[in-house]
Amino acid sequence: MKNPLYKRIPREIKHDLGKYIALFLFLCITIGFCSGFLVAGSSLKTTYDESFEKYNIEDGHFATAQKADTKLLNEVEKDEKCTIYNLNYKNINIGNEHTVRFFKARDKVNRVDILDGHMPEKNGEVVIDRLYAENNGIKINDTFKADGKNFKVTGFVALSDYSALFKNNTDMMFNANKFTVAILTDEDYSSIDNAGLNYCYCWTNNDRNLSDVDRQKKSDSIKDALAEKFILTDFVARQNNQAINFTGDDMGGDKAMVTWLLYIVIVVMSFVFAVTSRNTMEKEASVIGTLRASGYTRGEVLRHYLVSPLLVTFIAAVIGNILGYSFMKDFVASIYYQSYSLTTFHTVWNAEAFIKTTVVPCIIIIVINVIVLTSMLKLSPLQFLRHDLKKNKKKRAIALPNWKFLIRFRIRIILQNKSTYLTLFVGILFATVLLMFGMMFSPLLDNFKDEVINSQIATYQYVLKAPLETHTPNAEKYSLTSLENDNEEEISIFGISDKSQYLSKLTLPKNKGEVVLSDGYMEKYGISDGDKIKLKDKYKNKSYTFTVKGSYHYSASLCVFMPIDKLNETFDLDSGYFTGYFSDKAIKDIEKDYIATIITQGDLTVMADQLDDSMGMVFPMFGGFAIVIYVLIIYLLAKIIIEKNASSISMIKILGYSNGEASRLYNFATAIVVVLALVISISVCSWAIKEIYYAMMLEYSGWLTYYIAPWIYPAILAIGIACYVVVHFIQTKRIRKIPMSQGLKDME
Amino acid sequence: MYLTISDIKKSFGVGESKTEVLKGISFEIKKGDICVLLGPSGSGKSTLLNIIGGIENADSGSIKIGDDTVENMNEKQLSLYRRKHLGYVFQSYNLISNLTVKENIEVGAYLGDNPLDLDDLLKTLGLWEHKDKVPNQLSGGQQQRTAIGRAIIKNPDILLCDEPTGALDYNTSKEILKLIEDVNRKFGNTVILVTHNDAIRQMADRVIKLRDGIIRHDNLNTNKIPAVDLDW
Repeated sequence: MKNPLYKRIPREIKHDLGKYIALFLFLCITIGFCSGFLVAGSSLKTTYDESFEKYNIEDGHFATAQKADTKLLNEVEKDEKCTIYNLNYKNINIGNEHTVRFFKARDKVNRVDILDGHMPEKNGEVVIDRLYAENNGIKINDTFKADGKNFKVTGFVALSDYSALFKNNTDMMFNANKFTVAILTDEDYSSIDNAGLNYCYCWTNNDRNLSDVDRQKKSDSIKDALAEKFILTDFVARQNNQAINFTGDDMGGDKAMVTWLLYIVIVVMSFVFAVTSRNTMEKEASVIGTLRASGYTRGEVLRHYLVSPLLVTFIAAVIGNILGYSFMKDFVASIYYQSYSLTTFHTVWNAEAFIKTTVVPCIIIIVINVIVLTSMLKLSPLQFLRHDLKKNKKKRAIALPNWKFLIRFRIRIILQNKSTYLTLFVGILFATVLLMFGMMFSPLLDNFKDEVINSQIATYQYVLKAPLETHTPNAEKYSLTSLENDNEEEISIFGISDKSQYLSKLTLPKNKGEVVLSDGYMEKYGISDGDKIKLKDKYKNKSYTFTVKGSYHYSASLCVFMPIDKLNETFDLDSGYFTGYFSDKAIKDIEKDYIATIITQGDLTVMADQLDDSMGMVFPMFGGFAIVIYVLIIYLLAKIIIEKNASSISMIKILGYSNGEASRLYNFATAIVVVLALVISISVCSWAIKEIYYAMMLEYSGWLTYYIAPWIYPAILAIGIACYVVVHFIQTKRIRKIPMSQGLKDME
Repeated sequence: MYLTISDIKKSFGVGESKTEVLKGISFEIKKGDICVLLGPSGSGKSTLLNIIGGIENADSGSIKIGDDTVENMNEKQLSLYRRKHLGYVFQSYNLISNLTVKENIEVGAYLGDNPLDLDDLLKTLGLWEHKDKVPNQLSGGQQQRTAIGRAIIKNPDILLCDEPTGALDYNTSKEILKLIEDVNRKFGNTVILVTHNDAIRQMADRVIKLRDGIIRHDNLNTNKIPAVDLDW
């Protein structure tokens, strides 16, 4: 015979429909979003992983100072068992700090996925990156101007080796707003300006199934072989290529973050369910006592009280997954497509997503509810029959000072509902983390941009292809090279002129081996004055140790500053060597063919701009999600407290208290806990988020100064209180509805 | 004898506040008898009933029902013991508020291997017309009848009734007592009925009077009268 108690379940749900609908919708949307994220992420990741073979993505590329001799390349191919392809490109500045990297059509390596339209079939036609086109409102058949020529856009593409549009591999962040790749016909390619020509080549290993370790060894070996024959200006193995790997790494990181977010939400909701069920069990203590006295086992009673939470979670998970595979998947994919130049993806059935979003949440709900409810069911049937539900009977009431009656009354309510308020606190803490996270990034990026602009060395920073003199007034020479730290993060090494007018606040050390570090570098890696840092040359097996002699406020990148003569000496460069100029005016007496790049304000703030673009939509979502949690948690737990005390509320009404007074007694206890929880959560979160942020930034290149705008703290408090006020009105209405007869009935 | 109770002792509290509630209770009941436990408040009758029902442990002594001995049982065995042998009726009904009369009785049926016919029982209980009502649509008497139905449907060997008429008026109390009598007659269950109403002794086969934790009188009632003829 089927347990007749199960017939209660639908009625129980119907009776408390508001609560169950709220929980169901919240779980459904959360699970739907996470499922969509995991399905879309996984499908995109699968597509991304498959793209290496499908589009024959390079195992690495390198650039040479001059056109590489084919014979020498053939020798490397033969010795290193690899195939080298020409991947020359031309960077053309098209104004407004936008750069286009033109390639010829590729059909052997790093093949192109045409997403819309068609490849250039005749001269005057061009295909460009889909994301750049979207960011700049470019449509098919539009005219695209570059190098003084007009091209007709015939299609949008995704280049398999540019899923993240990094202009340079050393850039902190890709820039899909101002940088694009494009493909021209061979004839058009040849006709455009050679000033931006880069002699770039890529290779694929003949054995495509090398392990990561073997691929690394192979690329090291190829680098050594190439270095013997050519002057390398760039060398990037595939595993170090941000334009290829950033997307995949980011997707992996997102997956972990979303999974943890889901689990934390489910844990919080499990406690809400557990507290709710516990409250129901307290109300139904006599019935439970009777059932147990009649022969129902603890397990049967436990299973009965587990059904509703499990059923709601399971249905929410199933519907959430349906949403995840349909609407949410496309929504999440669109977020990825707004950040990355991805090739066409196909949905892949994802057992992992199903387990993570359906099986694991149900298990969490079961485990937490079993733990909480079992502790209560350990009471004897007689204790249930007598409503004697306290385990420790001898526990005395905590003595309170002789405060005002109302204060003592509210404290008693708080003490009576400790577990409920503890759950409320945990929920508020979690929501506050999300809210602070959602609110902090926009001001943080703005602050970073301000810092970068304020600490910019000069209006123009010229990087030359060869050391050429200029007569431009105030142009100041500098040297620049780069090394890597142990975290394989690129560190810029600046050689600065003595008494620099652009870095006037920088006090350079006099001795060789002594350096000043940018403050972000010191902050990120916890380096102090007097410490020694070890940096290595990326292309040579050589390392350098420097002693830190102070810091300098420079936010654009992680830098080391030393006198220019000491830099030249340290790196065996000619005395008087320099890389370029700092200048407050444009330099006009050096031909543009000799200028590698001009770094301006826009180049320095590119990372913040890109983060704002690709993540701008996500931050408010975090905030919105947090507000929903605030309202839901406060509502559900405040409701439990009012329901639990319905008889007492009814009694005090009989005694002559008005609805408003009853509300002030019971709801203000919750208000006190909410405000306290908010204040404590904000303090805990500001510490916790800082720790999380520092750990998180170690995974990224560069450094964004940690900054929480001061207005965020009161804003979170105000949002939390506003959420409480909404709930307060609902609960006041609930108190008003409690009839006076209830107290008398319960007394009987 | 079907139910044998031997030297049951029970006390509450420790040290100076220790109160001996049962001071060595022994008696036997035949299968199918109605036994009334009488006594004033604090006499230990409900505690004794709870010990028989396996929801409270005795400090010493033993209870034997058929071949089962209660005192050596663990929690799980006690649940099975209650499931197999006992039906419980309380003063305050303890019905499940969102189940109908029929479903509340099914809650008891679920526990039995060979439950009684539900429709027959509903008719016997006079609840047929009310079978689809929920408890708050019923009078006190109807609720208690439902509670008796829930206890009796699994056809337990012993029906334990703790002040079943304590919350009811005179007429309804008599109705309930008659029902218990009918059930006993029809299904042959042993009934142990705890009450402080002295008049109820007249419907019993056996009357045990407790005071201060000891049996003051243990009589066989030779002048048993039907419940409908009871008066107080």
